[in-house]
Amino acid sequence: MKSITHFLLILLSGCLLFFGCSSESNSSNESDSKKEVVLGKIALDNAWARPGSQQGKSAAYLRISNGTASTDTLLSFSSNAAESVELHKSIENDDGTTSMQPADEQVIPSGEKLHIEPGGLHLMLTNLKRDMAVGDSLQITLEFARAGTVTTTAPVQIQN
Amino acid sequence: MSPTLKSLLVSLLIIATFTACGPDTLYDLSGDTFQLRNSDSTQVNFPGDFKGDISLVTFIYTNCPDVCPVITANMTNIQRALDDTSGVNFIEISFDPKRDSPSTLKEYRDLYELNEQFTMLTSHPNDSDVLLDKLDIVAEKAIIDSLGHDSTNYAMRHSNTLYLMDRDGYIRTEYPAHRVTPEHVKDDINYLRSE
Ligand SMILES: [Cu+2]
Repeated sequence: MKSITHFLLILLSGCLLFFGCSSESNSSNESDSKKEVVLGKIALDNAWARPGSQQGKSAAYLRISNGTASTDTLLSFSSNAAESVELHKSIENDDGTTSMQPADEQVIPSGEKLHIEPGGLHLMLTNLKRDMAVGDSLQITLEFARAGTVTTTAPVQIQN
Repeated sequence: MSPTLKSLLVSLLIIATFTACGPDTLYDLSGDTFQLRNSDSTQVNFPGDFKGDISLVTFIYTNCPDVCPVITANMTNIQRALDDTSGVNFIEISFDPKRDSPSTLKEYRDLYELNEQFTMLTSHPNDSDVLLDKLDIVAEKAIIDSLGHDSTNYAMRHSNTLYLMDRDGYIRTEYPAHRVTPEHVKDDINYLRSE
């Protein structure tokens, strides 16, 4: 009797483990195949980038408005003008010096804006593929967890 | 308002103005000479070559993506805010001479369309930081893992300072370079002009 209970318990926990795993993979499959319907859209505006030279660095700025009905999260960044794009934050240290560091994941609530602007957040463009002078422009693509990718054109400008 | 209170306020105001831009000297460079190079590779004696003029002096590195361009933009905004820019120098000194050669500074001044009133200065890569030390300018390499790091690829943690230097080489006022309003600096320049 005791050994049967034991056997049943093992069987039960095995099932639980199995379901635990399979339900997890199921849910991710589900979200892949059944694309979520996003109401409204994420709008990008006021985009611009600083001048820079090939293989050098630049920074790009823009404003993100979450016009969708739900919170969304910025996942990744890219540009046709740079090998890599990261979101950085300029910070003031206690001793009055300034430095920059990678920014935390940005979550934008429905109806709110995220300002990526000088002295705060910047999209850090490294390894520029070409010279970027005033009058040029580049594409910036942002990927959001729910809304997917959104692209905008950023003219190269000098900050006033 | 009572007359006593009024006169107290007026004298407080006078004291405030006096301290903000009074005869106090933050740093005395009047007897010093630092040999630097400008964006044409010409040797410049700092501050001697600028004596007789009022100078705004700030510190940058040209690989700086965000804050230093804000500082440069603020310098040009101050330049624009002045009704009369004669007798005023706009000086940017690199604290990253290893990467900021005269030709790199030349590229930067072209990219940012800085006019002839701007002087970009750098030292020889092996010179010690005597000038920066004297002026309490902090600048050190800061590694950001995701950007990779080697001898040529680094960011910097740095001071954010703008100094106003009078005609005799005395640093008289200090501002947060990226944040001070052009109007504020303009008032102080006009004060120095009236001395
Ligand atoms: Cu950055």
